[in-house]
Amino acid sequence: MSADIRSQTRTASRTPDLIVPALLGGLILLYFVVPFAAFVSRAGTQNVLAGLSTPEAQMAIRNSLLTAPISTAIATIFGVPLAYVLARRSFLGKPIVEAVVILPLIVPPVVGGAMILTAVGRFTPIGSVAAAAGIPLTDSLIGVILAQTFVAAPFVIITARAGFGAIDERLEQSSRSLGYGPLWTFWNISLPLARGAILAGIVLTFARAIGEFGATMMVAYNPRTMPTRIWVDFITGGIEAVVPLALALLAITLAVIAAIHRFGRVPTVIER
Amino acid sequence: MILELDGISHRYGEEVAVRDVSFGVEPGELVAVLGPSGCGKTTIVQSIAGHVHPTSGRVLLRGEDVTGDSPESRQIGLMFQRSTLYPHMTVGENVAYGLVPRNIDGGERRETVATFLDLVDLEDQRESYPHELSGGQRRRAELARALAPQPDVLLLDEPLSGLDRALRERLQQEFVRIQRETGVTTLFVTHDQEEAMTMADRLVVMADGTVSGIGTPRALYDSPPTAFIASFLGRSNSLESTVVGADPLRITLGGRNVTVADYSPGCAKGETVSCHIRPDQVWLNGDRGNGRLSIPGEVVQVTDIGRRFDVTVRLESDEEVLVEHGGDPPSVGEVVDVSVPTNDLTVFGEQVEDQ
Repeated sequence: MSADIRSQTRTASRTPDLIVPALLGGLILLYFVVPFAAFVSRAGTQNVLAGLSTPEAQMAIRNSLLTAPISTAIATIFGVPLAYVLARRSFLGKPIVEAVVILPLIVPPVVGGAMILTAVGRFTPIGSVAAAAGIPLTDSLIGVILAQTFVAAPFVIITARAGFGAIDERLEQSSRSLGYGPLWTFWNISLPLARGAILAGIVLTFARAIGEFGATMMVAYNPRTMPTRIWVDFITGGIEAVVPLALALLAITLAVIAAIHRFGRVPTVIER
Repeated sequence: MILELDGISHRYGEEVAVRDVSFGVEPGELVAVLGPSGCGKTTIVQSIAGHVHPTSGRVLLRGEDVTGDSPESRQIGLMFQRSTLYPHMTVGENVAYGLVPRNIDGGERRETVATFLDLVDLEDQRESYPHELSGGQRRRAELARALAPQPDVLLLDEPLSGLDRALRERLQQEFVRIQRETGVTTLFVTHDQEEAMTMADRLVVMADGTVSGIGTPRALYDSPPTAFIASFLGRSNSLESTVVGADPLRITLGGRNVTVADYSPGCAKGETVSCHIRPDQVWLNGDRGNGRLSIPGEVVQVTDIGRRFDVTVRLESDEEVLVEHGGDPPSVGEVVDVSVPTNDLTVFGEQVEDQ
C-alpha cells in the first residue's frame, strides 16, 4: 500500500516534466479507445448470447480454443530453446537466423499463408503424402495450427531471447561450477530467471494465434476459427453480425492474459 | 601441487589476453593473482574453472590434466565480483544447491548447509532471499555456497572489489579466517595490491597477460624482480641512468657516479637502465654519509597527507622524485638535497623494462 502512495506522489511531482509526451501519448491512446468504445457500444443493441449460441459460432469457438493453445505450446517448446541459443552464442550466420526469426512478422499474414501453401499445400509432395495418410495439412485443424504457429511464434522467441539475454551469464557459470551440466543449469537457473519474459512472450503469442486471420484464411478457410467465422459473418450480415463473436474472442484473450498474469506470478524483485 | 598452470595462452579473436602463464598452487595455500585491470587475471580464473578453453597450455588439478574437462566435473568453487546468488532461491537453498550433484541428501545436506552458514555467520538468514541481504552478507552467503561442496580449489575473482573500504577490510580478515579454518586451497584475483599483500601467502603478479613475478609479498616488495613489480607494488620512484662500468656495476644517477654493490646480472657499459627507489627510503637534506648519495633539486610540490608530507622534488635531470617526509616540510621552490641510499637501489636493464 505504502508503495502505491509513494509511486503516486512521485508521478504527480513529475507530471509537469512529462506534459508534452503525456499529451502526445494521450492522443494515440484516445485513438485506441474510441473505436473500441464505439464497437462495444453496439453490443447493447445485439443479443450477444443468442449470437454465440448458434452451431456455427459454437464450432468456431471450439476450434479456436483447441488450436490456439496447441500453436502456443508448439511455439514455446521449440521457440524458447532457440531463444536461449540466440541469447548465449554468437556463431557464423547468426544474423541470418535472426532475420529468419522475424520473417513471419514482416511478411503480411496472407503472404505467410501463401508460403505455407506452397510448402505443404495439397498438391505439394509433403501435403499429398500427409493427405494420403489421412492427415490433411490444409483445410483442417492442423492447417489452422500451422498457420497460427508460423505467424505467432516469433513473439515468444523474441521476448524470451531478451529475457535470457538479461541474465548475467556468470549465474550459469556458477551453476556449472557447482556441479550441474548445461541442461540442468538451463532448467534450474536460466529458465526460472527468464520466466517473466517467457510468460510475456507466451501471452503475446497466444493473443496473436487466437486472433490469427490472414494466414489461416489461406491455409485453412475451413474448419472455421473465430476470426474466419467473424469474416464470414461480416460478409453475410455486416458489422452488427460480428459483434457477438468479436466480443467473445476479446473476452477469451483477456481471460487468458489475466490467468497467466495471475498464476504465473513471478517475483518482481529480480536482483541483478 | 594441487593446481598447476602450464603455459596457458589465450586469444579472444585476434586479441591476446594471456601469454604463456605458468604457476602452481600448493594444497592449503592462499595465492593472490594481482595485476591492473585488463592484465588477463579473469581469463586465468575462467580457464581454471573451465568456462574458457585456453588456446594453448594445460590446466592440471590434483595432478591430472583437466584442460578439456567440463566445469561441472572440476570440483572448483567459484565466486565473482558481482553477486551470482540465485534470486529465486533462499540463502539456504543457494548454499544447498551445490550439494545435490555431490549426492549429499536429506539430513546431511541440511547439516552441511547449517555448518557453512554458521561459518560465515549467516545462520539467521537461512530463509531470507538474496535481495533482503546487505552487500557484505551477500558476499558471505556466496562464499558459503562456493565452499559447501568442499571444492579442491576455491577461485575468487575480485570478490571484494565493489564494496566500500571499511566493509572490504572486515571481509578481507573474515575471508582469511575462513580460509584458515577450512584449509581450502584458494586462488584470489584482485587489482588491489594492498588487499593482495594483506591476504595472500604468495603473489602472482601479472602485467599485460604475462606473469611478471611470483613470490611472497615481502620478497616481491623488497626485491622486485621486474620494473613493473617495483612500480606496481607500493609507490616507487623510477630514475633513468646510464651504465658507466660493469662488475661492480657503476651507474650515473643525477649526474653522479654510484656503485651498486649487490647487483649481479650483467649490464653492458653505455646501456640505459632504470633505478627504482621507494619514497620512504629517500630523505631530504639528511645524512650524507654511509652509502647515501646526495642529489640537489628543487621542491615543486608539497602535499600534506596527515601523518607525513609527500614532497616532490625536481632534479637537475628534470626527473621528479617523490619523498615521504616526516618533519617540517620545505616550501615550494626551495632547493634541497635528496639523499638516496645506494644499497637500496633496484636496477633494471632495458630488456626487462621492455616486457
